[in-house]
Amino acid sequence: MTNREAEWSALLIAAMEGDGRAYARFLGLVTPVLRGIVRARGRVLGPEGQEDVVQEVLIAIHTKRHTWDRSAPLLPWLHAVTRHKVVDAFRRRGGSVHLPIEDFAEALEAEAEPDAMAARDSAVLIGRLDARSADIVRSVSLHGLSTAEVGARLEMSEGAVRVALHRAIRRMADIAKGTEK
Amino acid sequence: MKTDDLIGLLAADAAPQAPLRPVRIAGVVLAAILAVAGLFLMLAGVREGLAAALQQPAVLAKTALPLVLAGLAFPMALAQLRPDAVRPRWWGLLPPAMAAAGLWLWGFSVLSPAERFADVSAFSVTECLGLIVTLSILPLAVLIAKMRRGASVAPARAGALAGLAVACGITTGYSLFCTQDNPVFYVTWYGLAILLVTVLGAVLGLRFLRW
Repeated sequence: MTNREAEWSALLIAAMEGDGRAYARFLGLVTPVLRGIVRARGRVLGPEGQEDVVQEVLIAIHTKRHTWDRSAPLLPWLHAVTRHKVVDAFRRRGGSVHLPIEDFAEALEAEAEPDAMAARDSAVLIGRLDARSADIVRSVSLHGLSTAEVGARLEMSEGAVRVALHRAIRRMADIAKGTEK
Repeated sequence: MKTDDLIGLLAADAAPQAPLRPVRIAGVVLAAILAVAGLFLMLAGVREGLAAALQQPAVLAKTALPLVLAGLAFPMALAQLRPDAVRPRWWGLLPPAMAAAGLWLWGFSVLSPAERFADVSAFSVTECLGLIVTLSILPLAVLIAKMRRGASVAPARAGALAGLAVACGITTGYSLFCTQDNPVFYVTWYGLAILLVTVLGAVLGLRFLRW
């Protein structure tokens, strides 16, 4: 468990310095654990609904990562963000859930199970972006293009693509929290 | 979108983020409070004989109590910026609140029935409540706007603490202008004004600090 704290915080620190690969690895490690938490607590949502919640939590981790105080341990921060978003997501879906915080502590420290959900498609978030943002998001996420390649295709500077991407993700976060329709 | 694709997307947006700086936020909001309260005192003027008046305990308490409350509430509000914040230690606010209640009771007991509510008029109450609430609005808006970058797991609570801190700061400044030295008057109406701004903060928090 201390290993996980050390490993994950090192990855997130690298990510916050701008290392995209470390960030992808960090999120890749966090996701199965999140999925375990969401699956255990939100059976009524069904697999697709659960995966939507997992994605909402990931986006929240992303948009709020600067609120982690690097001099403090990472896992408590991660518990808090996860718990808040999971409760919020379940509440908005009309179910009330009891989520003792200990569950998160244990789940975050337990080994992740291999998961079959990783390949599942959930299209809720992109579907509500405007066409251009959705295009950029799809190009980067589904087709794995770099921001430079997307820029070349759309005749935008790479910087402009980055800004557009950043805004699109923020918009997805707003959609996920239910303040935008 | 598949979750793995989402991870790729988020990783493409890994540009360095400015860290959250609670101390800087505190600095900006304190500057806003000082500017608003300072401007008000410049325009309206501090009360006549302020230095002499502050020699009286009941007058000093009128300024000191909101100052102490502001000093306690500010760190509590700023702690709410982080999701893993410890729960606020509400009992920390108890001593000044008890002191205020004690002051009210003392004022009530020493004054004759005619004197107790002698200062209460539509004008004096409106002046006191209206000015404290009005002067609080801008600094509170600044604080709530700054707190949007944070991630409070209890938005209403975070907003309420922000309102409490700002209102107490403004009340401290306002008390240097105010000539109502009867604790029965000022504990009641300062208290109500602070409560109103606290509730306003909670409402704003619920609206703007969700994430």
